[in-house]
Amino acid sequence: MQGLIFSIEEFSVYDGPGIRTTVFLKGCPLRCSWCHNPEGQSYNKEIVRSPNGCINCNNCINVADIVDGKTVFTDDGIKNCPMGLLRYSGENISSEQLCEKLLKNQNMLQSGGVTFSGGEPLAQSDFLLDCLTKLKGKIHTAIQTSGYCDTQTFKKVVGMADYFLFDLKLADDRLHRKYTGVSNAVILNNFSFLASSGREFVVRIPLIPTVTDSDENICGIVNLLKQSGVNYVELLPYNQMAGAKYKMLCREYRPDFDERVAVKVPERILRKNNVAFKIL
Amino acid sequence: MTKNIEALVKQLKDQSYKKYRTKTTSEPILYPVDVFGFHIGNNEKKHSLGGNVIPSYKRIISKGFDEIRREIEFSISKATEQSKIEYGKKMLEKMVECIRICDEYREKVKSNSRLYNALQRVPHKSATTFFEACLFMKICIYFLRTANTEHICLGRFDQYMYPYFINDKNRGVSDEELFETLEAFFVSLNYDGDLYPGIQLGDNGQSMVLGGFDECGNSMYNQLTDMCMDASLELNLIDPKINLRVGKNTPKEVYIKATKLTKQGLGFPQYCNDDVVVPGLIKLGYDAKDAVDYGVAACWEYIPSGCGADIPNMSVMNFPLVVNKVITEKLCNCDSFATFMGCVEKAIAKECDRIVESCCDFQHPEQPLLSMFTDGCIETLTDMWRGAKYKNYGCHGTGIANATDALTAVKQCIFDKKTVSVSQLLEALENNFEGFSDLRSSLRNCSKMGNNDEIADDIATQIMACFSKNMNNKPNGNGGIWRAGTGSAMEYILSAAKCPATADGRKAFEPYSSSFSPSLDVKASGLLSIIQSFTKYDMTEIINGGPLTLEIHDSVLKNDIGIEKTAMLVKLFIDMGGHQLQLNSINRERLLDAQKHPEKHPNLIVRVWGWSGYFNELDKEYQNHIIRRCEYLN
Repeated sequence: MQGLIFSIEEFSVYDGPGIRTTVFLKGCPLRCSWCHNPEGQSYNKEIVRSPNGCINCNNCINVADIVDGKTVFTDDGIKNCPMGLLRYSGENISSEQLCEKLLKNQNMLQSGGVTFSGGEPLAQSDFLLDCLTKLKGKIHTAIQTSGYCDTQTFKKVVGMADYFLFDLKLADDRLHRKYTGVSNAVILNNFSFLASSGREFVVRIPLIPTVTDSDENICGIVNLLKQSGVNYVELLPYNQMAGAKYKMLCREYRPDFDERVAVKVPERILRKNNVAFKIL
Repeated sequence: MTKNIEALVKQLKDQSYKKYRTKTTSEPILYPVDVFGFHIGNNEKKHSLGGNVIPSYKRIISKGFDEIRREIEFSISKATEQSKIEYGKKMLEKMVECIRICDEYREKVKSNSRLYNALQRVPHKSATTFFEACLFMKICIYFLRTANTEHICLGRFDQYMYPYFINDKNRGVSDEELFETLEAFFVSLNYDGDLYPGIQLGDNGQSMVLGGFDECGNSMYNQLTDMCMDASLELNLIDPKINLRVGKNTPKEVYIKATKLTKQGLGFPQYCNDDVVVPGLIKLGYDAKDAVDYGVAACWEYIPSGCGADIPNMSVMNFPLVVNKVITEKLCNCDSFATFMGCVEKAIAKECDRIVESCCDFQHPEQPLLSMFTDGCIETLTDMWRGAKYKNYGCHGTGIANATDALTAVKQCIFDKKTVSVSQLLEALENNFEGFSDLRSSLRNCSKMGNNDEIADDIATQIMACFSKNMNNKPNGNGGIWRAGTGSAMEYILSAAKCPATADGRKAFEPYSSSFSPSLDVKASGLLSIIQSFTKYDMTEIINGGPLTLEIHDSVLKNDIGIEKTAMLVKLFIDMGGHQLQLNSINRERLLDAQKHPEKHPNLIVRVWGWSGYFNELDKEYQNHIIRRCEYLN
């Protein structure tokens, strides 16, 4: 079975226990305002331009298409770039090829394993399940997910993968819709299923200034954690480099919040509720 | 850090380190600067008479100059050959002068009672305390440096200094006091950086080798080792450069501490794998007791401690140039890749013979002072370059990855897929790929060393095996043998500047990768694949030295999780049989900014090849190379 990936990163240190390789699957149903990986959003191949080394000759822009008022690079652009800065983002790969590639480093991944991230890996669930089946018993597998996916599929994946890195962004549904474009109902459902499944997992909270780092939101998330008996979280503070990759796609990064505001680390609330945490 | 040390470091850093280090004086000799009394104070860059050895500090410090003087006198009295008597007199003359200068100096520092008292004992007699031993070290380093040597290395400091350290501890000296002495010694090694006759600033050979295992496999990592690591971590200065000897039994905690040092961005520690180096040196004829006591020369060349006059940088195998010649002259007559590789192997063998032949008459000038620091030379009244126990020569193997990639491209494009003809390739190489951009991109899209790809890695193994077989243990005409290695030193720039365009798609005169690393511009799959590729060959066969260099983005090391995992990665490399690893914490954006705005980054330190230097002080071509070699991080 074929899937679409946009990167394989060896020795990715923040994607689960031990030494790991992370595969990034392309396509995501969410549109988080703070997304730092815009390459992961579209389900299609795209042409991207590396910003390092551009001599602004505009050879790529001159042959680009304009779609809905947006610049879209073309094959001619790849050819025309004298610095070789344009490339395809997105590679069709079969589960056999991908797993073979990952298992080549099996000897070095004993302490860790393989993580599927994205985009949203559950959005290519058939491909994901196919890979997990092929890797079962050979290597530890982890899924880094927003949790947004129909519950039937989610249950199947929980049955197959060894470990989950589960994002909890916003406890309030209205805000969740506003900042990510989707409701959190199915996410919270999947979360309680995961928590009761006995599968190993860790919860991650992206700390976005004025959005997810508010006291109300953290209290809301802490309540969810308590309901599920979770007493440890990993915090991912917002980094002002988040917008760096948009230029590669000729897109503008326009977050719905003021990114200059310092992130509030909710130490007090977490401590008060006996939730241990680590800042990544 | 104590207030004393803090003041010393501040002084060093504040006074625009460069200005401070060039501070000169008309006074020719020792004068007080730091707690160890002096720095070199001589602005004359002299012609080097050789170096790259680890002096026998252990013997000198435990005997004292008076005893050494008596030994020389005794040898002279026993000698019958006139030439030996003459040489002995030269040694004696140097030793008498060293003693005189120290006495004169002692009288100048009467007001500093600690220094004055210590100088009543050393260097005349053996050191008794850790402070005296450090002072004695400074005195030795001073004299050796002023004797026109270069790259005089510090060797296994934590081993030969340990008796003084433990003696102090037993006398009740506190760890704090010992640590302060150690830090003061480390700070003192950072003066006068511009006075070393190195290729670039910072290339001064002040490499220190820590830890390791003895002949029975017992760990030699002691409390002083640990303090040296802590001092380096706390001081954050480029000297001494730390080399850490490790092995399969090195505990994870040691790797974690070492990784914290990597995080400082100084480009060390460099790791040396005892499980590979010791058997490798034994295969080359080193006695087991000398092999386990190995250290590194200025950068990463493995040499014995105190008893050697090896010249590990004697010559260079310019692999890509050899491969290019075979492509130009022989490829059109080869009907298979195997035949072609046969020609390559013959050419490597022939080049080995040429190198050996060209160096057989080499003679270093006499070095009476350094010879006193080399075991056995006083007894025989012989100059070290002729009288030391080991007089082996090393040959670097530079551009291994570029040569491998070129051969792989020939295999894939000419023989397997037949997408490129021999005449097209030759024409493209001759024209430096001008007008052959499609052909060039086919070459660049072939398998590469560093991607854990069997085709490329097998070819790498084949050329390294051929090099080892034809170089190792060949007599060098000086009573020693040759040793093959994987290093490049500055040859990744210099040798590359002699090499036209190569079949891996590299343009004429562009640099190779430094030492044993993937070619520049290769889109490597990542750190795991690189490690796989560079641990496949049996590295005991090619042990002159030359590290795999890996760049790790500094964001990886931002917290304990990243530090622990990086430590685990290093351990994996060692457990998989890698021989030497240099790990650099780097941030490409910061380097680019420093190139544009040097004034904003006065203290940016980078690892160059076997040593660290200030980024701003490097020539632009070296700066560019460092920027390019971290491209696989993006």
